[in-house]
Amino acid sequence: MSGEHASSTVAVRVRRLEERLVAAGVVGDDQLDAILTKLLNGASPVNGARVTARAWTDPGFKERLLADANTALPELGLSMTGGIQEQRLKVVENTTEVHNVLVCTLCSCYPIGLLGPSPSWYKSEAYRSRVVRDPRSVLAEFGLELPDDVTVTVWDSSAESRYMVLPRRPDGTDGLGEEELARLVTREGLIGTAAV
Amino acid sequence: MSRVNDVGGQTGFGALRIEAGEPPFHADWEARVYALNMALVRGGVYTLDEFRDAVERMAPAEYLAASYYERWLHAIETLVAERKVLGDA
Amino acid sequence: MPEPAAFAAGQRVRVRAADPDGHTRAPRYVRGHTGRVVESQGRWPLADDRATGAAEPRVETVYTVAFPARELWGEGTHEVTVDLWESYLEQAAEERA
Repeated sequence: MSGEHASSTVAVRVRRLEERLVAAGVVGDDQLDAILTKLLNGASPVNGARVTARAWTDPGFKERLLADANTALPELGLSMTGGIQEQRLKVVENTTEVHNVLVCTLCSCYPIGLLGPSPSWYKSEAYRSRVVRDPRSVLAEFGLELPDDVTVTVWDSSAESRYMVLPRRPDGTDGLGEEELARLVTREGLIGTAAV
Repeated sequence: MSRVNDVGGQTGFGALRIEAGEPPFHADWEARVYALNMALVRGGVYTLDEFRDAVERMAPAEYLAASYYERWLHAIETLVAERKVLGDA
Repeated sequence: MPEPAAFAAGQRVRVRAADPDGHTRAPRYVRGHTGRVVESQGRWPLADDRATGAAEPRVETVYTVAFPARELWGEGTHEVTVDLWESYLEQAAEERA
């Protein structure tokens, strides 16, 4: 089967559907473009990284973030209101005892505003099926090996909450400012498939 | 009845395929499908739960053979037809 | 007045072994299993009802429920937390000390 041919067939199907919906006045081309512009310009792991760096440098912010992330985010000009309706955000903190990792086993729930569009592996059956059953084997495929005495907690976002992992601040970063710290944080760190 | 999407704890899906530097969308049509769905939910044509339901109602073999955004396209086409958004034609 | 939540943090709950025909957000791997309530997430429209286009979906408390891997898979040292609407749950007996 030719992937390219299948892909062009589906592209034609999408174009026809879009044309019919626009012609019927159900959606507008400008509306679709605006949705994509907002997604591609606004939704990024840079947002989650900023939240993380602030939490590392401001204990009061960290306390507010872990207690009620929705009311703490506006301190950084962020919010969970970008979707259809405001979503509850729960930030879960990695410690020397606990490592957190996120999944949605039923579909692909993900905090897009804070982490950007989700990677394909996050939406794959392989990840969704395995991470709740044997998280350490999944983390190992990302090159993340945790000490045996660390408890792994897997958060399956099956309802209206979205999750973000607060990674541990790396050792040897005492001299770094908030912006430099934010540059250390990766998308995988915020999902929990990397240490930071 | 458990549906095909309910994969937590199932075996047989193999190793992860991690794509370094992956773009948000792999083709323009995927982006258009994303935007269409968002617009149709915002416009009240259907709810996000009805959309998830339409994805899950796919025949299991078809679901597993389809890419992520092909599933979305299937669900949108299903709901647009069921709601008669484009009339009966 | 909001209805009081049926379950408190720390309480043991069992996921009902229900197997509905339609859309639901209780994953199969926790059905019939017992976990512990971590916290209440407030009240949210029930996804099962909203998926049918119901004009007035039931609104229920959603709970974060933690399950030890051994309870779900018979082995493992990790923990899995799942977000579950109240009608998915029933009270479970407390573990004997």
